[in-house]
Amino acid sequence: MLAYVVRRLWQIVPTLLGVVLLVFFLFTWFGGDPAYLLAGKISNPEQIESIRRQLGVDRPYYVQLWIFIQQIATGDFGESWSTNEKVSAIFATRLGPSLTVLVPLLAVDTLLAIAAAMLVAYVRGSLTDRMVMISCTVGQSISILVYIIVFQYVLAYQLGWFPVQGWGNGFAENLLKYSLLPIIVGVIVSLAPDTRLYRSFFLDEINQDYVRTARAKGMSETRVMWVHVLRNASIPIITNVMIQLPGLLAGAFLIERFFSIPGIGREVILAVERSDFPVIKAVTIYVAIATMIINLITDLLYKVVDPRVQLK
Amino acid sequence: MMQAALSTVGVPRGESAGLWTLAWRRFCRDRVGLASFLIVVFFFGMMLASGLHLIARDWSEEVGVNYAPPTFMGTAIPDRTAPVAPDSSGSKSTRESEIRQPGEGGGIDIADPLADVLAEIRAEFSGATAETGKAPTLVFGGDRWGRDVLKKAIKGTETSMFVGLAAAVLAAFLATVFGALAGYYGGWIDDLFNWFYSVFTSIPYLLLILAIAAVLNQKGTLTVILILGFTGWTGIFRLVRAEYLKHKVREYIQAADAIGASHARRMFVHILPNVSHVILVQLSLHVVLFIKSEVVLSFLGFGVGVDTVSWGSMLNEAQNELILGYWWQLVAATIAMALLVTGFSLFTDALRDALDPKLK
Amino acid sequence: MTSVNSADTLISIRDLRVDFRLDRTTISQAVRGISFDIPVNSTVALVGESGSGKSVTALAILGLLPRENATVPAGSQILYGGRNLLALAPGELQKLRGADISMIFQEPMSSLNPVFTVGFQLTEVLTKHLGMTGRQARSRALEILREVGIPEPETRIDAYPFQLSGGQQQRAMIAIAIACEPKLLIADEPTTALDVTIQKQILELIAALQKRLRMSVLFITHDLVLVGEIADYVVVMREGEIKEQGRVEQIFEAPRDAYTRALLLCRPQLERRPRRLPVIDDFMKPGPLAGGSLEERSRGLRGDEEIILEARHLGKSFYSREGLFGKREFKAVRDVSFKLARGKTLGIVGESGSGKTTVALTLLRLRGESSGEALFDGKDLLSIPQQETMPYKRRIQIVFQNPYASLNPRFTIGQLLMEPLQVHGIGSNESERRDRVYKLLEEVGLPEVSFFKYPHEFSGGQRQRIAIARCLTMKPDVLICDEAVSALDVSIQAQILNLLQDLQDEHHMSYIFIWHDLAVVKYMADQVMVMNEGEVVEVANSDDIYRNPQHPYTKKLLSSIPRGWRGARAH
Repeated sequence: MLAYVVRRLWQIVPTLLGVVLLVFFLFTWFGGDPAYLLAGKISNPEQIESIRRQLGVDRPYYVQLWIFIQQIATGDFGESWSTNEKVSAIFATRLGPSLTVLVPLLAVDTLLAIAAAMLVAYVRGSLTDRMVMISCTVGQSISILVYIIVFQYVLAYQLGWFPVQGWGNGFAENLLKYSLLPIIVGVIVSLAPDTRLYRSFFLDEINQDYVRTARAKGMSETRVMWVHVLRNASIPIITNVMIQLPGLLAGAFLIERFFSIPGIGREVILAVERSDFPVIKAVTIYVAIATMIINLITDLLYKVVDPRVQLK
Repeated sequence: MMQAALSTVGVPRGESAGLWTLAWRRFCRDRVGLASFLIVVFFFGMMLASGLHLIARDWSEEVGVNYAPPTFMGTAIPDRTAPVAPDSSGSKSTRESEIRQPGEGGGIDIADPLADVLAEIRAEFSGATAETGKAPTLVFGGDRWGRDVLKKAIKGTETSMFVGLAAAVLAAFLATVFGALAGYYGGWIDDLFNWFYSVFTSIPYLLLILAIAAVLNQKGTLTVILILGFTGWTGIFRLVRAEYLKHKVREYIQAADAIGASHARRMFVHILPNVSHVILVQLSLHVVLFIKSEVVLSFLGFGVGVDTVSWGSMLNEAQNELILGYWWQLVAATIAMALLVTGFSLFTDALRDALDPKLK
Repeated sequence: MTSVNSADTLISIRDLRVDFRLDRTTISQAVRGISFDIPVNSTVALVGESGSGKSVTALAILGLLPRENATVPAGSQILYGGRNLLALAPGELQKLRGADISMIFQEPMSSLNPVFTVGFQLTEVLTKHLGMTGRQARSRALEILREVGIPEPETRIDAYPFQLSGGQQQRAMIAIAIACEPKLLIADEPTTALDVTIQKQILELIAALQKRLRMSVLFITHDLVLVGEIADYVVVMREGEIKEQGRVEQIFEAPRDAYTRALLLCRPQLERRPRRLPVIDDFMKPGPLAGGSLEERSRGLRGDEEIILEARHLGKSFYSREGLFGKREFKAVRDVSFKLARGKTLGIVGESGSGKTTVALTLLRLRGESSGEALFDGKDLLSIPQQETMPYKRRIQIVFQNPYASLNPRFTIGQLLMEPLQVHGIGSNESERRDRVYKLLEEVGLPEVSFFKYPHEFSGGQRQRIAIARCLTMKPDVLICDEAVSALDVSIQAQILNLLQDLQDEHHMSYIFIWHDLAVVKYMADQVMVMNEGEVVEVANSDDIYRNPQHPYTKKLLSSIPRGWRGARAH
């Protein structure tokens, strides 16, 4: 087991290097001279010069790359080009709100999707099944933008059930007042694809031989579904949930922007609109690292969930 | 295991059919699939017609009054250029103090990316059309400058379909080549492509696209297609690679090896036809994905250029219009997009069932 | 089975019909109105080839047919304890399943739930049907596991299915099935997926359990000979109908139906070696058996024949990763040497994992690096550089086991057969190649119009013919048949074996016949080589090896061969 973990950590290095190179070349090569971009934001020419020196724009590429790597290692990406806030500080403060919305969102969505998928798998082939599937398809075809705009307009603006946007000070206030509508919208958007996916997992399992054996043993249909099938289907379901985790860190961009939630996602959108490179670079690298570590944890989790897995 | 008592022994049937013919027959029996196929064809036709300037050529002309309502709604609503409290019911009077336009950040002004360019266009046209020649209502309403919403929706279809298809073809092509090489040869080639794959998938999709869009800082249809295509190949790659790994050890490939077929022959003449149905289904899925991504990009102002209509830009405009009570652009864009995407999704499902039938 | 009176009947099947809906427009009748009885405390064998409807019948008894596409029309009855099982409510049926009537299946690995331990799956039945508590169930489970012969039950009870061998998995399934001491055990091809030696053990286990628990067993199989050792009654099915049923003595000694007779005689038998194997058609047509079936063919090497292929010290290892840096070596083939004489057949026999297939694939260089030499026509095949192997590929060809996987489903038959000609540049133009292909199709017994068809339009036996034809396009000197007919029904097997023999007589090809079935090998081979765990255990002329086996493993293999009813009674 230890050997496996060590080997995996070792394998992360080239991938991480690849991401670093990708980000670096993307921003340095295509990004153009920062001075040009900064001219519009910072009026102080000395400040611009110091940033240029810090980035080493006039130095050869490998020196710039080395500076970049140092920045990653120390976690200091300098300051945002627009607000002058330290990038690392930006993260620290923004992570909280993002998670406050996204963790409940993921939890509610997963539970509802599993329940819906089980029920639909139980009555597979029936009219209910087809109707649910078609509504999922139609639901998925409407852009998330529309959901956000319409829900915000109808439920918050017109009916006043929720605040239109904003964020508060206490955790409870944030969770119960400001996060509710965003969570609802988020769940509605992700429920359809997840239900379809989990339904396919359940159907795959239902057609397996061991289900026939369980029935031949006289187990009730309920037990077959909730004990035998669910336990097997939980493996791909867990995979799916784990895959969504890195997305949590990147924040739900659009939801945060529309609802003015001061999370990482909103920062990213703002940074993109303002060509604020340090922020974008930093977020990309951090999320990439997080993804790789989450992948490793997922693989280790497999060992717990699926007894057949042997880590080599 | 159960086997149905088909009489498989004996005389081969009169006409012989390969995979595609069989799939087509199966497809035709699926009514939902056929209906969705027709929808897709319809939209495809619309895209061609619009692209060839046969319809909706004059979408950018301001033919109606500002915010002209749809013809089926009745007479025009008086022109409102500033946000005022909506007049529907009293409960909202308390809201007046909270009125800000939804979607704008707290205190940070987000510039309307279209404003400058549109001002230019208005200036260009102001000479030609006099204020008096404008229609009071349009088929599905008009936008802020009186442009025909229906025509914009059609143009948006052209944009989205074109971008979706082109990006999907690009992504599928890349993924197939990468996947074939990686799955077939294995070894260091596989490691190399897997490394690529890990790098690209370490970054969440939307974040990656936004980052690239930010860097390139260049709008335009071609840019969008390239961005989507060059980042969206990863899903298809994984599947193609898995298929090649699976087929490489199958006996018919061993037989081909025993006969003396070369590597290239085995990869592309033998295996590829057995994988093509998977690629086709994935391509179809990715068209949907790319259409949705393009809409989001265009909404944020990073998609197609300002002289091109996209449902995304329509939705962007619709945000502000909604508070004023003008809902038609939102509805038009939503319906058009919903129809196309639903149609395409159902078509993809039917395609998958036709090519790889399993008893459900 | 009219001779059995109702007091002794456990289950009575009356006019059972089952229809399957394949797609929107096609319905196939899997079972077309069959009737038979299962008496108490006896073994009934339900025998038939694939597509006969035997498995469907078994599933119908327990109500396990897939409800989406299987329908049982009214009028069919399965009577048990005075009730019609087909008309029972689901709750009632669940009470019977696992308690009164149990079932075991063909593939034990996939029939057990992979994420639960054996103990969990076993105690589940005990708690549900017998109302035991957790602790009671566990100790009873240990007893049952011991009874079915699983070694170290205390540890195995907490093991997962994948940690057990195939034989142990099947024992575990049997344990689950008999846990509540059912009155009827349905066994659906329980030994087909197992090795010959394990097969025998499982059969003996089932027979012992049947006696002790005084239960009835419905044994489903395609192998009539196997059945002869364990059954009291036999029911023979073909294409959804019962062809014949009766006591086992009567079926074996005096079969009335032509199909039954065909099933009995189409298998190569150990005692005789006719020139041609009889095939079903020989029996279905009226008249005496074809004369050629009665002559014997002699086989064996004298020792002075020309040697066409000689393998010396072949070895092949596979590596897997272990620990941080280590590699584990698995020697699939160790130090195998043999000689193949021109125009003769060498049979390689062994169970799964013996390395016999790897030997074949190594000779053809389909498996990468290997050690040793393979001398063919003076040159060592294994050391020729990759680019120069083409001329040799023509001369040694292989027919694979799985007819459904060895033909590219996207190619027409014509494309499949033309390809080797094109690749090797045989024939000077397209039309000449086409003529060759047509001639070959005729030679393997397929109509010319097959040229334009796709593999899925043909049956398993026909596909093997196509595979054989594909090899023949290159006129090889050596043909390797790797279990080439084991996936086929007995009657089709006989046809293909006859075809192969005719081709050998015609073209003087040398064969390497890789098999697990000793009777077939003895029939086809001049020399037999027995392999076990990668090594050669014994080599001798085929007649000698059966009359006089030297090595204990060979003896074990021989004793595991089912000998049919006559054999069982004779002991």
